[in-house]
Amino acid sequence: MTRPVGIEAMNVFGGVAFLDVRELCDHRGLDMPRFENLLMQEKSVALPYEDPVTFAVNAAKPLLDAMTPAERTRIEMVVTCTESGIDFGKSLSTYLHRYLDLPSNCRLFEIKQACYSGAAGLQMAANFVLSGTSPGGKVLVVTTDISRFALADAGAVEEWAYSEPSSGAGAVAMVISDTPHILALDAGAYGNHAFEVMDTCRPGPDTEAGDADLSLMAYLDCAAGAVGDYLRRVEGADFRESFSQLCFHTPFGGMVKGAHRHLMRKLYKAKPDEIAGDFEVRLGPSLSYGKRVGNTAGGSVFVALAGTIDTAGIDAPVRIGLFSYGSGCCSEFFSGVAGPESAARLGGMGISAEFDKRYRLSIAEYERLLAGDAVVRFGTKDAELDHQIIPGAWPADGAGTRLVLDKVVGYHRHYIWV
Amino acid sequence: MDSDQIVDIIIGEIRETVPELADRPIGRGDSMADLGVDSIERSEIILATLEAVGLKVPMVQLHGPRNIGELADLIDAKKSG
Repeated sequence: MTRPVGIEAMNVFGGVAFLDVRELCDHRGLDMPRFENLLMQEKSVALPYEDPVTFAVNAAKPLLDAMTPAERTRIEMVVTCTESGIDFGKSLSTYLHRYLDLPSNCRLFEIKQACYSGAAGLQMAANFVLSGTSPGGKVLVVTTDISRFALADAGAVEEWAYSEPSSGAGAVAMVISDTPHILALDAGAYGNHAFEVMDTCRPGPDTEAGDADLSLMAYLDCAAGAVGDYLRRVEGADFRESFSQLCFHTPFGGMVKGAHRHLMRKLYKAKPDEIAGDFEVRLGPSLSYGKRVGNTAGGSVFVALAGTIDTAGIDAPVRIGLFSYGSGCCSEFFSGVAGPESAARLGGMGISAEFDKRYRLSIAEYERLLAGDAVVRFGTKDAELDHQIIPGAWPADGAGTRLVLDKVVGYHRHYIWV
Repeated sequence: MDSDQIVDIIIGEIRETVPELADRPIGRGDSMADLGVDSIERSEIILATLEAVGLKVPMVQLHGPRNIGELADLIDAKKSG
């Protein structure tokens, strides 16, 4: 298996507004004496005129803009990966197709498996490329998720006290092809672990439910199981030695720390000092962006990957191990190689600089958004969006490169560039 | 090994994981959450206890107990079963 495949180009979009997580915890009166251990700082908050489509398009646009017309015509499939869908039938990919002006000879669909969706999308795309049925064909894979969990009712905020600070919003766009400039996947090197469990779910429009303890347990079981399956498949692989860097699905940093500790104890009976040092070196860089946008669900493991490539100081090819977990549950551990070119190309996206441009919401503004009056709920037939709901957040001097939701007419969402 | 001995192991792991609880009386009826042990720490305590008693089961099978005594009973049952 020598045919190259992987991520050719990649971008992360973290929305137009964020909230300081410590300020939120203080405001909620959460007893978090060991707050630092959770490794959270900021979270992106979707404004009412931002939805899974705007996040996805805004993440993908810079990738498409950087392509030649000839390259764009080779995008033959658009896979949106989400648990924040806006319609049971029509996929988000159809909106991406319109607003990214993609070729008409294209497969469009959406896939779901909680936070595992992005890894599923990537693997489906990679296998399409490897199949050789359309040599040179490219796939646009976009993860896009937003959390509006408090919309359900007033009690939801209380019930979800400890997940509210970690729930974020964000999209990751990736072009998958046979020219993997960002991450060359180790084709055939992967491990899965899956079983049915009711840990967290989205049982109805705009509602989330779950059991944080059970979800953590399932995550830990899957980390051990998926890594174990990878080691079974890949001769000579070793969790401690084979991967210079690691990127895990990151609900919040503390959970990744727990899973890493579990693996190091289970596989090597490693001592606390060694575990802490290894975490700092191999997982520290992966938390760089997650702690700024919060849990981005399907995109979380790729937000971690972007953080690693941008901040780990990669000056020679390194093998990166990636672990994706999605409630319900399914998980995968897989790997790829990134190098100096990856860092140079991803750096060109200016991901961190874009995060810096976000508007910082006050608690009062955030609470107003939480009330949900201005949000377009699932199934809305007609609506006009108030673009001045948070005046400071509106990109008044925009260059026409940012997509926002303008109105809904007969269930059809209409967007504008600002 | 019986359930009471497992309770002792769990309490020992709690004190090890959360040093702030070193001097606090802890018994069968206490729940780790009420003691202020967070979810990550709870999982570590359970994993360490499984290691100490030599039991290999998926973590999700140990979900449900409402206090330390119930957790010990469940581990004891899995061990015997």
